[in-house]
Amino acid sequence: MDYHKDEYFTNRERSWLRFNERCLSEARDESIPLFERLKFLSITASNLDEFLMVRIASLKDMVHAGYKKTDIAGMKADEQLALLYPAMHEFVAMQYECYNNLADAACGVGMAMLEHHEELTTKQAEFVDRYFEDNVYPVLTPMAVDSSRPFPLIKNKSLNIGALLARKEGTGLEAYGIAKSYSKAILSGVDVTDDVEKKKKKKQMDFAIVQVPSGLPRIVELPANKEGCKYIIRLEEIIERNISKLFLNYTVVCASPFRIMRNADLDIEEEEAEDLLMEIEKQIKRRQWGEVIRLETEKGIDKKLLDILKKELRVTGDDIYEIEGPLDLTFLMKVYGMEGFDEFKNKGNTPSDVPEIPAGSDIFEDIRKGDILLHHPYQSFEPVVRFVRSAAVDPDVLAIKQTLYRVSGNSPIVKALAQAAENGKQVTVLVELKARFDEENNIVWARMLEKAGCHVIYGLVGLKTHCKICLVVRREEDGIRRYVHLATGNYNDSTAKLYTDFGLFTCAEPVGEDATAVFNMLSGYSEPLSWNRLAVAPLWLKKRILKLIKRETENARAGRSCGIKAKMNSLCDPDVIAALYEASSAGVPIKLLVRGICCLKVGIPEVSENIKVYSIVGDYLEHGRAFVFDNDCDPEVYLASADWMPRNLERRVEIMFPVDDHRLKERVMRILDEQFEDNVKKHELMPDDRYVKALAPEDSRYCCQMDFVKQAKEYAKSSSVSKTAGRRFIPIESSERKANDNEE
Amino acid sequence: MSEKNKKVRVFAAIDVGSFEMGLKIFEISQKNGIKCINSVKHRLALGNDSYVRKKISYEKMEELFNTVNKFKEIMREYEVSDYKAYGTSALRETENTAIILEQIRSRTGIEVEVLSNSEQRFLDYKAIAAKGKLFDKIIEKSTAIVDIGGGSIQISLFDKDRLVQTQALKLGVLRLHERMQEIRPRSTQTEELLDEMIGSQIRTFHKVFLKDRDVKNLIIMDEYLSPRFHQIVDGVSAEGSISAAGFMSFADGLLTRRDEEIENAMELPEEKIALFRLSTAIIKRVAENFEVDTIWATGAELCDGIAYEYAEKKKLTKIAHDFEDDILDSAQMVAKRYQSSTKHAEAVEKAALSIFDGMKSVHGMGRRERLLLRLAAILQDCGKFINMTNVGECSFAIIANTEIIGLSHNERIIVASVVKYNHGPFEYYPGMSGRIGVDRRSYLTIAKLTAILQLANALDKGKGEKIKKVDAALEKDELRIYVDAKKDILYEQERFDKRSGFFEEVYGVHPKLYRMKNK
Repeated sequence: MDYHKDEYFTNRERSWLRFNERCLSEARDESIPLFERLKFLSITASNLDEFLMVRIASLKDMVHAGYKKTDIAGMKADEQLALLYPAMHEFVAMQYECYNNLADAACGVGMAMLEHHEELTTKQAEFVDRYFEDNVYPVLTPMAVDSSRPFPLIKNKSLNIGALLARKEGTGLEAYGIAKSYSKAILSGVDVTDDVEKKKKKKQMDFAIVQVPSGLPRIVELPANKEGCKYIIRLEEIIERNISKLFLNYTVVCASPFRIMRNADLDIEEEEAEDLLMEIEKQIKRRQWGEVIRLETEKGIDKKLLDILKKELRVTGDDIYEIEGPLDLTFLMKVYGMEGFDEFKNKGNTPSDVPEIPAGSDIFEDIRKGDILLHHPYQSFEPVVRFVRSAAVDPDVLAIKQTLYRVSGNSPIVKALAQAAENGKQVTVLVELKARFDEENNIVWARMLEKAGCHVIYGLVGLKTHCKICLVVRREEDGIRRYVHLATGNYNDSTAKLYTDFGLFTCAEPVGEDATAVFNMLSGYSEPLSWNRLAVAPLWLKKRILKLIKRETENARAGRSCGIKAKMNSLCDPDVIAALYEASSAGVPIKLLVRGICCLKVGIPEVSENIKVYSIVGDYLEHGRAFVFDNDCDPEVYLASADWMPRNLERRVEIMFPVDDHRLKERVMRILDEQFEDNVKKHELMPDDRYVKALAPEDSRYCCQMDFVKQAKEYAKSSSVSKTAGRRFIPIESSERKANDNEE
Repeated sequence: MSEKNKKVRVFAAIDVGSFEMGLKIFEISQKNGIKCINSVKHRLALGNDSYVRKKISYEKMEELFNTVNKFKEIMREYEVSDYKAYGTSALRETENTAIILEQIRSRTGIEVEVLSNSEQRFLDYKAIAAKGKLFDKIIEKSTAIVDIGGGSIQISLFDKDRLVQTQALKLGVLRLHERMQEIRPRSTQTEELLDEMIGSQIRTFHKVFLKDRDVKNLIIMDEYLSPRFHQIVDGVSAEGSISAAGFMSFADGLLTRRDEEIENAMELPEEKIALFRLSTAIIKRVAENFEVDTIWATGAELCDGIAYEYAEKKKLTKIAHDFEDDILDSAQMVAKRYQSSTKHAEAVEKAALSIFDGMKSVHGMGRRERLLLRLAAILQDCGKFINMTNVGECSFAIIANTEIIGLSHNERIIVASVVKYNHGPFEYYPGMSGRIGVDRRSYLTIAKLTAILQLANALDKGKGEKIKKVDAALEKDELRIYVDAKKDILYEQERFDKRSGFFEEVYGVHPKLYRMKNK
């Protein structure tokens, strides 16, 4: 049977939009605190920005290049765009409907987000004008457009105000350095009346652009005119109100904010790039000026102004979004961050201590006692930082080797690595320069580490190094011992508070040998002849996963116990999906927790009837990858840095590592089972590709993320670590939340 | 490094091979034995240059320097205390080996030595034998080892636990690959061509050395199949063995597959597939020809042998196998092939060792030279097989051209020279070095061993084994040699006196023969 038929797969971009819809559903969920909903809405906006910059841009590139190859669902690029445009417009409409409701609700609880400057009271207006003159005016650079001054290059994702200006009679514009009349050619398409006077006036209109400075806060708090209520206004409104001050000899006919999105897809000719670092820097600069793929304007923008923008930015039809509300809703994250309103936010959760690694202990000794599993963000990331810090100062540590994909702004791990090198340790760091949107940040770290004396490897040609591994080589009494930390999430202490991930500490020799082999490989040496415990992409991981699925299929056919439970961010590898279909057909029960994209279809008769797909979008971003194979009642449990996506399995260095310790295996299986039990944040994929969240009655609600917070607290409190499996704790409320799909 | 760790020695072994460069870092301790803690390989096909052009290109030399420097980084990382770096056939077969080695030294600080084929094979063999009990178990039955390198393969035969034969054949996989690329056979011609290239030489080996010997086990050693025997071949036991029938089925399946199929099924890198295929083809033909029952792969590599040898020298490990016996056995097999007189050789060896030991405080030679002396005694008249009137020259030719596992080329020349000068007049340094290219140190060893062997040989000149016991003791400037002889030793006394002049010249010690009753 052919399990690769086009109709068995969902288009991945459409599936991604479904994910963003699930995020939006959180923003619309009235059971969630108001400010948390604002945050979710902000996340949907930044998610969509990235989706457009990367995925839509890529599809457009394919159309321009005449690329005919079809996607997993048998669709060509133009067909996909035709499917996605209406869905995106519909999504944006839903976002703003949600925004308007939330803005009203926020006003109701004392947070007035003024829509337009016209809503300002006199006192507020005075404040705004003063703010403009003191803070904004000095940094503005109005850019005029005429035949001698071409249309300015507008930066990607920047917010701007476009204005049409009419020259005041009797003024010498050139003296002010302001534009001459905007070229006739541009205005020739403008709908003008027969009225000669009007025509004359229009012909005299000039076009100018003011960029809303990204260095200033997007929202400004205003003096309250009502006790107990906060008022805020967006920066572009302040500029718009005062725009005439920029064009003294003009009358501002109309002004309106607009925002553009450019093609940001990186396409590095690595084979030709002798210095990858330089090439990436070049690409970042280029990204500012890629093709415009979206123009957002306020609904009701002056038609002439819109026509100029359309023409100059070369955008048409579906790429234009006329927005019924403020552009770029990511400012809502700032609103969320404002002081107060605690009753409308979740209580913050401090990650719990890890009892196996008590404060002040010798972490290496702790690891020697047995493998240690960390479940973030419920459990603290501190032990991971301590691991590297301890290694940096331990006289018996010979070497530290680590991969870095995305690190936090002021990463303690990076500092510790630099310190280790300064202390004379051999420090090898693979900094992945190609981590999308983090390239600039990573170049800074890479240089800093190199300066400190680390051996920095700037990624591998043709592959992204996405695995998360840290190896500490230590000389001990009996000889060399290797301590390894393997993880599903990045070495990023900030995101480790928001993303759910697994980490494993071990000093098991077979894993240590494999870890050494991974770094040998990353350093350019030949691949090892075989691996003990790890499965590494791009050469071995996919085959391993397919084999593991196949074994379950064979077990099912032979009447043995079988089953697959897997958790990942995205599932879109056609071969893996086909293998799952085959397993399902053979009778293997399959339960999947796929937070984001899922190209697998459920409920196809005789193909996927035994497959259930769920997605949890909750306070924390579900990010860990965990796979459980029943293996005829002898379960094998794996954790991985990789999703089941072609890019992870074929174009990246990824690691899947087994959980060998019996207790930890049980713990991971239990975590997965508890996630499947969730009836608060869990959506189920339906055969028609929609996701449905069936909310349980209030008295039987179970939110796994909240439960994990509680479990971790209880576990941390336990004076001695329980060695028994199957331990359960009583749920309490959850706290911080974040869902965001820009992480991989 | 803290004080507590001194019990563990960290050693690095570097193999500058013909297809790949390898580095292995070992921890060696009395408690845990030899443990590999890191292993890296860098593909650099030096053999492609040296086998054909006899020179290594500038680009490859640069890559070689860079790789050695990277190896040094790893060695620093593990705080390696000692290392040994060896080059094999690719470096051996270049015309400018000495210059290359000097360049490596000056560019990297690493001293690389070039192994002769027999030294290399001996280390490979040590790597296998270091497996200890497993190896002993295998060689309980008659066993052959086929060691496949880039330039040549080595076949060694064991009878019970004795190494009885070893022979190199120029059938290395890189060499064969080069030839195949020149010939470019169609896929249907490949098998036949391989049979002609490999099969004919294996058959000749069988005819000359194997004769009617019944070989049960075949141990394979190569860079492609044996290190991943378990992963690739279905039905391999935990110890690393498979029945010959099982292996044949694997090999036949493999040899008919396309490269892409092998790449996918075996998870092998593309560039290794051709060599992997050739290696399998060689093993298949050897196994078929020898009609073995079982095929074994221990996964041992040259670097393991280097580490073993180091540990052995430094007395850091228990000796897994008596390799000196293998060398002696091997020499005895050569002596037997050329119909040497066993009893005479034994008598001479016994006397020579007594003199060697008695002169210990004077000659300054060690265990290795003692072994060379024993070999010279065993092989001292093998040349008679060719020509009885020119025994010295003929013996030299035989020894210099015969594989004796474990001996370097230089050591073989030393043994051959000692045997030669045992029969004829000694040649002084200018003449000897000009003719056979020995250095001053080797020349002195030849002189010292020759002087001893001449005296020892004189003591059994009549080949009647008249002397039962020989003791030697140094008394001031006189070496007193006490012999227990029931019969008259007039002839021996005359030869002894005749040879004592050269002995005196070499050592400045006058040898004097005493019968035991005089003691």
